Amino acid sequence: MSASSLPFPVIVPMLRVPILKPMFLPFPFSLWPRTLLPPLFLRPTVVKFPPTPCRLTASVAVVVNPGLDRSDISYSRTTAVTRKPCVNLIQGLERVKEISRILRVRREIEELALTYYKQAYEHETFLHVTLQRKEILGGCCVLASCRQQRWPITVGTISCLLNGDPAAVGEVYQEMIKVLNIQAPTFSVTDVMEAHCQEYKVSPGHVPEELAEDSKGLTKRAIALVELAADSWIVTGRQPLPIMMAAVYLAWQSLKPNAQRLKMSLEKFCKLAKVQKSKTAGTRITEMKGMLYKLGKEIPWYKEVLTPDNVVSLVGDVLQHRFSLLRRALKSHELSLLEKCPAGQVNPSSAETSSSSDVSEDAGQTPVKSSVNAEKEKQGRDGDESLKSPSEESNPQTQELTQNWGKRVLFAPPCVVNAKRKRAERPPLHVTGDEEISDSEIESYIRTPQEARDFAMMQEKLFTSNNESS
Amino acid sequence: MDSSNDEAVDIIITNVVATFRTRCHLNLRTIALEGINVIYKPEVGKVLMKLRKPRITASIWSSGKIICTGATSEDEAKLGARRLARCLQKLGFKVRFSAFKVVNVLAVCSMPFSIHLVDFTKNNRPIASYEPELHPAATYRIKNIKATVQVFSTGSLTITGPNVQNVATAVEQVYPLLFECRKPLCK
Repeated sequence: MSASSLPFPVIVPMLRVPILKPMFLPFPFSLWPRTLLPPLFLRPTVVKFPPTPCRLTASVAVVVNPGLDRSDISYSRTTAVTRKPCVNLIQGLERVKEISRILRVRREIEELALTYYKQAYEHETFLHVTLQRKEILGGCCVLASCRQQRWPITVGTISCLLNGDPAAVGEVYQEMIKVLNIQAPTFSVTDVMEAHCQEYKVSPGHVPEELAEDSKGLTKRAIALVELAADSWIVTGRQPLPIMMAAVYLAWQSLKPNAQRLKMSLEKFCKLAKVQKSKTAGTRITEMKGMLYKLGKEIPWYKEVLTPDNVVSLVGDVLQHRFSLLRRALKSHELSLLEKCPAGQVNPSSAETSSSSDVSEDAGQTPVKSSVNAEKEKQGRDGDESLKSPSEESNPQTQELTQNWGKRVLFAPPCVVNAKRKRAERPPLHVTGDEEISDSEIESYIRTPQEARDFAMMQEKLFTSNNESS
Repeated sequence: MDSSNDEAVDIIITNVVATFRTRCHLNLRTIALEGINVIYKPEVGKVLMKLRKPRITASIWSSGKIICTGATSEDEAKLGARRLARCLQKLGFKVRFSAFKVVNVLAVCSMPFSIHLVDFTKNNRPIASYEPELHPAATYRIKNIKATVQVFSTGSLTITGPNVQNVATAVEQVYPLLFECRKPLCK
């Protein structure tokens, strides 16, 4: 079919196309019959409906109308549309701004977060993901820029703002860091402590005077408790929120340890301070009290009977003299270990650390020889040099101390102190992988024909009975 | 603490994952009917078969691809895979044991000292990452040997790698970095 045989003028797209000004169109463009429109109009990329006159002049090539002044423009320019930013990108950038303003971060942090978001959004890793994931990406960009600018914020806060799963936020965050090739330092619990303490509404204006506490004093005491807890294996590897809540609660009780405060439970305290209680905080409180009890026992001027329950009143003294109390507690612990076990059976820490004046000893150093030898005992190796002896074998207490370094040191992670019972290890098979395989052992994995028939019959009966019952 | 440098550290392999192909189509219903210790999962289109010695679990697909898990050494994995292939031969399939490959090795190891994870992460960024809110261990990825080491503050390590040699190399590489960040009781 040649161009001359067609009933309407054909404009060949590859050539230059004249443009008509819209005022000369007899009636609205959208009412033009399609057969009279040049093929160019049939291309969806060119025309946007309903078109306005100004759009027509900007982007569309229309019918040739001789007699008008026309300027020839190349086809690519006539069909070119100004690239607009993606709607989702614009919405995402707005969301990043909203999150930044809710958190009241500095302007530099907001701008950095917007830059990161734009870069990450256009990367292939995040370009075709769900909108939910893109929203999480926005939160992660804010998190990364806060961390780089040393603005303390936790992953939990971002998850809460996005109303998302912390695991999903973490996954997107790790991907984003890798894609953008940036480094963002993490915060320790003490860095976020100050911001966290401000959430607790226990200042003089919010609660009665006997329950009120100055925010600065509370923060200072709570930070000291967290630092002491970090030295005692309570903080490492744990979620920060329950630890912070436990520290604030104990700090608040210890600053004015009257009967009213000491009797108040964690739940009531959280209601008073208008914060949501964390279930794990109760466990952390117990662990912290245990740690304070071990140190409080060494206070020479305290003559009454000390228990983990009444140690809160001594928190101030414990924190003030913590280093010397720690030294004394370690020495007492070593002496008690020596009393429990005969000399030379279990290697206490005193031989390695008593020479140092500071208490900068490694809690993990004490089990160096014993744990490795415990491993050797487990595998039944010969040549165990120092620890095995008939008396030790017969004494379960010393055996337990030998195998579990958590029982030997003053402070150890709870997972080591209360170690789970290990599964009985199966003996290793000494094989090469190329052994002969006998038929008899393979036969044990295959049913006989009779067994197979019986099994099939049973399955059929079960299936029919299930159908009947349903 | 100098004596700890000379101590050997035991790496205990807990799982070896291996794959192989049978080069023939497998009828899963036949395997489920005539095999013992077999679990048929029609919803996912596979059959689980467990062997006693070595103690492995095999996931069998009708295409002939089989994944074996549960072995504690590469040789054990190979022996288990061959036994499984022989079993399928006995069931009547024209099995040819081919393309055997160990794809993943999981091992655990215990350092004789505890580790300060924050210091370890700071010293080894960006290879190491530590997000205590997400996971209690620091992750150390060694790209050249494709191994990942998860470091817990108690000194326990979990290492995954493509083979046993890479796992051992990963422990050798990471040991001095961990030794620098041993955790003191208090400052």
